[in-house]
Amino acid sequence: MATAELVHEPRARSMAEGSPGPIGRDPNTRHFARVGWGFSSPAFGVIAAFTIFPIIFAVVLSFQNVNVTGSGFGLQGFTTANYHAMLTAGLWHHALWFTTIYTVVTVACELVLGTVFALVLERLTKGRGMMMALLLIPWSLITVISAELWSYIYNPTYGVLGEIWHVITGASPPNLLGYPLDATIALMFADIWKTTPFVAIIVLAGLVMIPTELFEAAEVDGATGWKTFWKVTVPLLRPTIGIAVLFRVLQAFGLFDLPYVLTGGGPGTSTQSLAMLGYNTMFTDINFGPGAAVAVSTAVIVLVMCLVFLRAFKQQVGKETISA
Amino acid sequence: MASISIEKVTKIYPNGFEAIHELDLDVADGEFMVLVGPSGCGKTTALRMVAGLEDITGGTLRIGDRIVNDVSSKDRDIAMVFQNYALYPHMTVAENIGFALKLRKIPKAEIKKKVEDAAAILGLTEWLDRKPGQLSGGQRQRVAMGRAIVREPSVFLMDEPLSNLDAKLRVQMRAEVARIQRRLNVATLYVTHDQVEAMTMGDRVAVMRAGLLQQCDKPQVLYDHPVNLFVAGFMGSPAMNLFDATLGEGAATALVGSQKLELPSSLHAIRPALKSYANRPVIIGIRPEDLPVAGDEPAAIDEAVYFEGDVELVEALGSELLVHFTTDAHRVEAEGAKDADSEGLSAGALTKGGEGVARVEPRSQLVVGRRVRFRIDPARFHFFDPASGLSITS
Repeated sequence: MATAELVHEPRARSMAEGSPGPIGRDPNTRHFARVGWGFSSPAFGVIAAFTIFPIIFAVVLSFQNVNVTGSGFGLQGFTTANYHAMLTAGLWHHALWFTTIYTVVTVACELVLGTVFALVLERLTKGRGMMMALLLIPWSLITVISAELWSYIYNPTYGVLGEIWHVITGASPPNLLGYPLDATIALMFADIWKTTPFVAIIVLAGLVMIPTELFEAAEVDGATGWKTFWKVTVPLLRPTIGIAVLFRVLQAFGLFDLPYVLTGGGPGTSTQSLAMLGYNTMFTDINFGPGAAVAVSTAVIVLVMCLVFLRAFKQQVGKETISA
Repeated sequence: MASISIEKVTKIYPNGFEAIHELDLDVADGEFMVLVGPSGCGKTTALRMVAGLEDITGGTLRIGDRIVNDVSSKDRDIAMVFQNYALYPHMTVAENIGFALKLRKIPKAEIKKKVEDAAAILGLTEWLDRKPGQLSGGQRQRVAMGRAIVREPSVFLMDEPLSNLDAKLRVQMRAEVARIQRRLNVATLYVTHDQVEAMTMGDRVAVMRAGLLQQCDKPQVLYDHPVNLFVAGFMGSPAMNLFDATLGEGAATALVGSQKLELPSSLHAIRPALKSYANRPVIIGIRPEDLPVAGDEPAAIDEAVYFEGDVELVEALGSELLVHFTTDAHRVEAEGAKDADSEGLSAGALTKGGEGVARVEPRSQLVVGRRVRFRIDPARFHFFDPASGLSITS
């Protein structure tokens, strides 16, 4: 939602400036407005049915004492008990903590690695296209498939990682997914492997937009490569990096499929993300009220993060005209 | 403070293209040297080699007494103004100007003072807190200049710094850049494709074509004594009129189209080599301003030569008239002498076949379609060898 706003805002403004006058006065304009609404209404219908209604319904559910029977839902009156139970439950706190740490670590690593890859790719004169294609393979894999692949790699009995461990140390390989910290790191590693190329491509796009003369000017000014990177490249990449971080944080905070397949949230509930917690509460425990409360709370957290982020980056995104 | 010495410097790109062939050029300390030529002549490559942004394939480059072939750009003590200014968009004007000083770890107070001094020279004081994106083209150009002068480098390099400005501002900044250079008295290498900039700004001008230095001298010498057809055609606007001609017996006459011009003995006295071209074809050149309409010439000319044409178009510029005339002589276009910018204007649009241009007194009575008679001082003629293109001088 937030990204859509970010992209469409300038266009909307320019359309408003270019419009001939207030809509509805001129019969021609009114006619076009009617046709426009006519064409848009199927889309509105779909959005209302599949986006707006579920959101409202989830919010309503989260404030209801829900009774599920064989004949369907029974909403048995307003209650804040769902939220109260959630906020006092250790599971929710742990899931929030896990999701946050996971998001911060993976996004930070992906950003650093992605930027390094982008810098290398930018320097490549030969085979850049092929390298990009190779780099994008992990990103193009469906998460569930890559999660399955990693579960083979991590498997202590027949996994390749265990075999390498065995050859090097001679000891029997550890069960990586059997301990909370190891499992968390294993998950993060799989995520970083998969998503770093995405960040690299975005940063590369920003990098090629910076005119070469700026780097030459910095060189003539006496800057070393390191100084040029920190004083010229990074500041000019900030808007691009901002976009990459926004996308990644949104995605990482909704973490579901990777732990669902790779660890099942385990061992125990140690790698259970907020999205998994919501899903499990709702569909495994058939506990719709509390499950909806988890979902709504996650959505609110993400929304707030986006707003804070946009506010912080609005000063820069789109304002730094790079053309000198 | 230092000089630049370019000795037999060659640039060959990895694909085998030779951009510069054995360039020899010396820029004395404090001298303003303009490197001029059409697009692709290698002038920017030469500048970038001096800047250290381009490897040198062969030859020796000295800044001061030091050979800098393999010295990196940041250690050459040069400052460069880029064509599109290359200002750092995320820094304010003050930060842009002071960036090089900051990199040298000069104390903040000193940087501030130097930046303010430079800003005062350039009239940028009130813009110091702005970002480049908020400035006009002319102001950005000044910031780029400021960034160069604040460092007090031993050499200034400028790569077409005025080409992104509109015509009026360009004229203004032309004078300003020249003034600043005189004031700082630093060896300057200035690249442009605009021969007017070259003429007006340079202490000396080096004309390049296809990677080769054609001529390097004071602007007026280049204009008055071009060594070859290319320099003759490149310097000056409108360009020199060049026609195929054949010299007669003893080089006493020149047949230009169907007109036979009597060449007086005074001309042979200053150009004795002409005799050896007797009964041979030459290319004869005359600048537009050396074609006064008979009767209008400012001073009486001894042994004047008359040349006629049919007036095709008269352009009144107020201070002068540009008369486009046709003759039956074959006009010679100096190959590559015109840059892409002016191509359509000079050759294509107005001039065809045997057309020439004269720059005459505004009060001359000229009627389109009528014949016009020019009275020429024979000393103003230029002669070129049609085979080599070289000027027939001595």
